[in-house]
Amino acid sequence: MASTTERLAEWARRPKSFARLTTLPLNVVLNFVLIVPFGIMIFLAFTAWHPLAGVAWWQASVVGFPNFVKALSDARFLWALLRSIIFVGVVVPVEFLLGLAFALIFLGDFRAKKMFTSIVLYPMMVPWIVVGLAFFLMFQDYGPVNLILLKFLFGEERMISWFLNPALAFGTIMLADIWQWTPLMFLIIYSGLAAVPFRLIEAAKVLGASSSQILTRIQLPIIKSLLLVALIIRGLEAFKVFDTVYIMTGAGGPGTATETISAYIYKLAILYNNLSYAAAVSLMLMVMLAFVTRLAIRPLEVKPE
Amino acid sequence: MSKQPEKKEGDRRTFLKWAGGAVAVAAAVAVGYSLRGPPPPEIVTRTETVTTVAPTTPTIVLPGTVSERATAGAKALVDAGVVPRGTVLKLLHVAGSRAQLAPFIPEWKSKTGIDVELVTVGNEPDIFTKLMAEATAKTGIYDMATVFSTWMGDLVESGVVSNLDDYYRKYDPIGPPDVAPIEPLGSYTTMYKGKRYALDADADVYTLTYRKDLFENEDYKAEFRSKFGYDLKAPDTWEQAVDVASYFNGENLKAPDGEKVYGAFFYAEPTFAAYTTWITIFVSRGGILFSPKDMRSMVNSPEGVDALQLMVKITPYMHPEAVTGSWASLYQRYSEGKAAMAMAWPSLVKWAQDPATSKVVGLNLFAVVPGAKVTVGGQEQIVKAAINPVNWVGVVSNYSKYPEAAFLFLQWWTSPEIGYEVTPIKGIMDAYRANWFAEGSKERAHMELAYTPQFIDVFKESIASSFPDLMLPGAYEYLDKLNKTINAACAGTKDPKAGLDETAAAWEEITDRLGRDKLLEAWKATIPLYPREVQDVWKAKGYV
Repeated sequence: MASTTERLAEWARRPKSFARLTTLPLNVVLNFVLIVPFGIMIFLAFTAWHPLAGVAWWQASVVGFPNFVKALSDARFLWALLRSIIFVGVVVPVEFLLGLAFALIFLGDFRAKKMFTSIVLYPMMVPWIVVGLAFFLMFQDYGPVNLILLKFLFGEERMISWFLNPALAFGTIMLADIWQWTPLMFLIIYSGLAAVPFRLIEAAKVLGASSSQILTRIQLPIIKSLLLVALIIRGLEAFKVFDTVYIMTGAGGPGTATETISAYIYKLAILYNNLSYAAAVSLMLMVMLAFVTRLAIRPLEVKPE
Repeated sequence: MSKQPEKKEGDRRTFLKWAGGAVAVAAAVAVGYSLRGPPPPEIVTRTETVTTVAPTTPTIVLPGTVSERATAGAKALVDAGVVPRGTVLKLLHVAGSRAQLAPFIPEWKSKTGIDVELVTVGNEPDIFTKLMAEATAKTGIYDMATVFSTWMGDLVESGVVSNLDDYYRKYDPIGPPDVAPIEPLGSYTTMYKGKRYALDADADVYTLTYRKDLFENEDYKAEFRSKFGYDLKAPDTWEQAVDVASYFNGENLKAPDGEKVYGAFFYAEPTFAAYTTWITIFVSRGGILFSPKDMRSMVNSPEGVDALQLMVKITPYMHPEAVTGSWASLYQRYSEGKAAMAMAWPSLVKWAQDPATSKVVGLNLFAVVPGAKVTVGGQEQIVKAAINPVNWVGVVSNYSKYPEAAFLFLQWWTSPEIGYEVTPIKGIMDAYRANWFAEGSKERAHMELAYTPQFIDVFKESIASSFPDLMLPGAYEYLDKLNKTINAACAGTKDPKAGLDETAAAWEEITDRLGRDKLLEAWKATIPLYPREVQDVWKAKGYV
């Protein structure tokens, strides 16, 4: 009869067991860092705990749903949510269209194409915080936009206080995002279009299809899944915009007129130490995003034949 | 037809689910375990008497000056093996104070064998957020920090800072009365509920800085008089400040770099300083932040709305960055000669008087901040009250391995002997010890080089009529909500009355969440620290 050690050694020698053993530490760590904080967040969302409560968070008593009820009537939360939705609704389509335009241009051959490709991709490599600072400085009252661009456009010195007007301030944040993330759209669309079999395009041309027909009926439908993934990734990222808001408008100024949902949750959790409410708001948001994302990825699902 | 690798995929998925499930169950068990038994109370009621008192006579166990006691104490800790030689203490601080800290660390290290590493953050609120995170994490990553005295309530109640009463008794960081920090600032900025939690490193009372060359120009004086019917001078009231700002703004003067000179620069920015302008106007008009009867928010009282309306009125005459910039914008723009007057911390003077950063060196005069005409007992008088916002202090982490050594470094750095060298350096810590203001002293002469003689006199006068920042638990949240309203009103996106009504409602919610009784206790302790004239107005209005 084999001893326990021998049985264990034999079990470990099996390919399946070996795979489990070698990936076990990573699986434990990954699940731990994902699930435990998530569990804590869910727990806190149902308490009224804050660091000044005099008890540790795990000792806080469960109070039920007041944080969720409060969020539904919290005008600042609802406005921040709406602003984030508007932000996504504006920047993602613009980035998509610009990315598509660049991709079509770069599909053709022209001089110094490699150099221009690098230049177009450059903004994506700049840290968000640097982009925020650069745009903040550009749109100062005596910044280059007022002193150079507006003078060039209108022929006289114009003084626009960009960050005093909520719409203009929000517009500058959008502009910074578009500048930085159009290259990502370009990169994804360009790589997709470049992979479309050339023979299909040639065949369409022979049959008399116009460029726009080739684009809308052959190229884009073929890379539809890729486009959808790009839109979802960018949409989720844009929804979480924080750095540029933090830098350019002091996390939401004037007042709270440019406060996005990330900026609001940051303030609730980090500045106001209202951790339970921040957890509840985060949880609501996560459920909303999961629902929207689920709907968005439905066309990507491969149905079994 | 090829077979799908169902088995392998299934196995992997099953395993992932199994591993994830195990951790989830463990987490659920842990959470469930924490919920066992009757729930503990949410709020711990503390029973300390809420009073801010003058320092008691300390029991000095070590001889010598304040700095000598600090180095001797630290050396003794090293010699006794309590603190290993070469230990590195971590000090969390903001970038603006680096120049006032870094040059002194080698001397401290050579005298004690203990090193200090500066953990520098860029923005002031980052210190608060890092310390509050430490209150939950309890890692001991920082041994000490320089913080706003405003945060004391949060820092103490969250348990992240150490009580320093024993160290105060043992080492006496204050020193004899002639060199002690100026009272009552020295006490109320370092104490919470009658106990010491910090060492004073600063005095931050606001003053008005204005352009001598503009205010003393004969043409402007004549024109101003004919337009407003009184002499051009540093404004005594906020209404006069509006007149002066509108006048200079309308003159379209040019700064040395060709940009416009605006009428004024008073903080209305969104990050943290807007309330300092508002509260200065508010308190001088007899406003009180909370009712001392029931802690009801009174930011939307008539005085509050008047103060905000006045800020809205003066905004068009101010540099635009007053509303869109940061606290540092005022220092930069005033020093570039782009504002006729500004109200700020004393360190503005160090910037404005340094040729490396200023185009207006030697062109600055100073005055106590404007006030308000109020009627008390049938007599009209001008009440001036200057806020002491921020006021940096040093605190020791409750989770430090070497709290005594950290305390001793702060004692040494803030001592009359070393602080005297630290303070005039261009940075955010300003003069706070009595002998540095003493007429005819060598210390005062040293300070005058950085601040100018006239400023030292004005600063002394301003301190006499100063009042403390909001020093309650939750102060950050209270003030941030107020800042947002002020900033929005000055940007023209919110009606002052409606905005302050919303702020008052938000303040009520904070008060309820943090514990009304506890906050009321702390608020009542603050009231005697306001200038006597202000308290008289409160009495006349029936507020106290």
